[in-house]
Amino acid sequence: MNMRKYFEKTDKWVVTFRYPLEPLEPPKELRGKPEIDPDLCIGCGACAQACPPNAITVHTDYDEGLKKVRIFYGRCIYCGRCWEVCPEGAIKLTNFFEMATPNKEDLVYEVVLPLHRCPRCGNYLEFTERQVHRAYTLLTRLPEERRKELLERMFLCRDCRRQVFSLEEFKNRRRDKYVQASQTPF
Amino acid sequence: MVNFWIRKVEDLSKEELLEIIDRELKGLVTDKYVPTNNFVVYFAEREKIPAIIEKLMEFSYTRLSVIAGNDERYYMNKLSLTYIIAFDKQDLYIGIRTYLPFYDPVAPSITDMVKAAWWNERENRDLFGIEFSGLKDKRKLVLPEYWPDNVHPWRKDYPYNKPVMDWREGLPDYTPVRETKDVDVIGFGPYHMVNDEPIHWRLYVKGEVIVDAEHRGFHNWRGIEKIAEGRLTYNQIPFIAERICGICGFTHATAYVQAIESLARIDIPDRARYIRSLMLEIERIESHLLWIGIACHILGFDTGFMLSWKTREHIMHLAEVLTGNRKTYGMDIVGGVRRDVLGDRINKAIDTVKKIRAEYKELYNMLINNTILVKRTRGVGVLPREKAISYGVVGPVARGAGLDIDVRKDHPYAAYKELSFNVPVYSEGDVLAITLVRLDEVFESLDLIEQILDKLPKGPIMAEVKEIPANKEAVGVVEAPRGEDIHYVRSGEYNKIQRWRVRAPSYANIPPVREMLIGYRLADAPIIYASVDPCLACTERYLVIDIETGKKTIISDEELKAKSRKLSKTMG
Repeated sequence: MNMRKYFEKTDKWVVTFRYPLEPLEPPKELRGKPEIDPDLCIGCGACAQACPPNAITVHTDYDEGLKKVRIFYGRCIYCGRCWEVCPEGAIKLTNFFEMATPNKEDLVYEVVLPLHRCPRCGNYLEFTERQVHRAYTLLTRLPEERRKELLERMFLCRDCRRQVFSLEEFKNRRRDKYVQASQTPF
Repeated sequence: MVNFWIRKVEDLSKEELLEIIDRELKGLVTDKYVPTNNFVVYFAEREKIPAIIEKLMEFSYTRLSVIAGNDERYYMNKLSLTYIIAFDKQDLYIGIRTYLPFYDPVAPSITDMVKAAWWNERENRDLFGIEFSGLKDKRKLVLPEYWPDNVHPWRKDYPYNKPVMDWREGLPDYTPVRETKDVDVIGFGPYHMVNDEPIHWRLYVKGEVIVDAEHRGFHNWRGIEKIAEGRLTYNQIPFIAERICGICGFTHATAYVQAIESLARIDIPDRARYIRSLMLEIERIESHLLWIGIACHILGFDTGFMLSWKTREHIMHLAEVLTGNRKTYGMDIVGGVRRDVLGDRINKAIDTVKKIRAEYKELYNMLINNTILVKRTRGVGVLPREKAISYGVVGPVARGAGLDIDVRKDHPYAAYKELSFNVPVYSEGDVLAITLVRLDEVFESLDLIEQILDKLPKGPIMAEVKEIPANKEAVGVVEAPRGEDIHYVRSGEYNKIQRWRVRAPSYANIPPVREMLIGYRLADAPIIYASVDPCLACTERYLVIDIETGKKTIISDEELKAKSRKLSKTMG
């Protein structure tokens, strides 16, 4: 086929879009800007662990008692790993892609969550209130006795736990464990 | 001198060949180790290396794929070199490992025997400080000229985040490698899109005819492997591997995850294998159509360029729908793929393939009936078969020179064992042959996509992966659009990588360009160049130095292209 014939057959000549002048609708599958829902985020940091380019970082401020989950879109490679690993479904992938901005600070988004406070000594723990609450909701699945046992100390910090539950109890428990272990047949 | 490929062994099975090799290498090697199914490592003293390579290269269908250096001071206070040789008809990679004492890291050079070692030896000299006795080319390959000679960034005591020194200090003057009394020197580059990085050629011309060429590249060398070895965990690396190349990124990610899967003995689900093949073929079509467009553009045939890229846009859109991005698919992860091909998208893919096939058939007929395109490429840039073997070229360049090698057939990975396809091979070795290989491969890829969508098995797309065992090694191989892409991986502790050596196909294909350029006209240089890689210089300017008068003239990119197009006009 020569070129003349090719062009006689073609009916549609313009195949490009006047993009910046008219809007372009990306397909709904496009991996675009990931957005963190501040109402659902519990501040566990799973996204920060998985993020290949360290676009999501977690900063813990013990003085003010705040945990900041910060996403900097300037580093984001739009891989969607954070969306996959989020246990709460707090990260949503949108198909928004027009991220250009003259101001770098527009690209930072921060979720600020309060840290859990030990009710006995008043120190901040490394967990957020929502993380502890999430753990509390998980307790309902356990049997009654075990749940009561855990409820006694799940809100305390590590030091308070040591003080409340005395060394003796620890010793007893370890001895029990040791006896049990030695009785198992090999 | 090595007598390449004089022993015909392509009919033998893997076990028979390994027996023969064991017999041949008796006395030369000290030990043997089989890390994975298709990778066998022999240990040898460094003095025996040339003899071993000479013996192995006599077998037919062998190539020196890569020489991977490693700093093993943490384990045994030694540096090591692994010469990885591919046996293409037996699905086998043989590694010859030699340990070099840290106080005396000298190995014998084999560049005079096997040209494929040329760049590898220079790279190991730069990055590990391993000296090669007998290597004539003492120029730096990877590191810049101002880099101090006693600092070797890939030794483990060099941190991955150490800043580079100021480049403006101590830039040495350029000295040509050959006599420039009666030739003109034409600088070509360095801003150049070949290999996704700036690349610089110095063409030595007599009148219009190129008499020699000199390469200097790696201006944009980023040290990705060091970042991966330093701080990333094994599941973060596929994403940085994908960003090694802007055209064939998915092949790099696939090669890496395949290496990890084979060293950790992970069986990935069937559906994941098929989806990987699907994405690899989509990428091949995309890359070849891009290359065809660029080649047409260089020859002044801009209609071909527009039509080729118009066709390419359909496949880009399909990739966007299937994976979520036009180019960086982000699909690969150790143990499988991340997105399934579901529901309406299969129908969309089938429709797209039909549309592309119809458009591409017309484009194909137009291209091969175009007298200018055929005249400009026939008999130009011939790479003889013997040189192709010595340089270890891969992909369409090898298939254009009459070597029937294709990783998809020879070392089956993903789902290629269950699919049927042809490997187009031409024996002329000129640019036309390479062009035809690429043109034919698009049809094969379209067929493959249809087969994959037809056969797509049901089931999960990801296998569960827990921990990667430490100190295992493997090679991952993928046929990229430009040829064999090989990743050598050695795992380390704490789910990290101890050593990751990437050899992209262009690493094997660019050194022979020097041989291909010699004897042809300056106006042919762009297309000879482009035949190796999908992109040609979109250089800002070229610098011409008249040696006798010392006068410098600057030819713009447009002028050189215009020169190329003028030649096309006279032929048409």
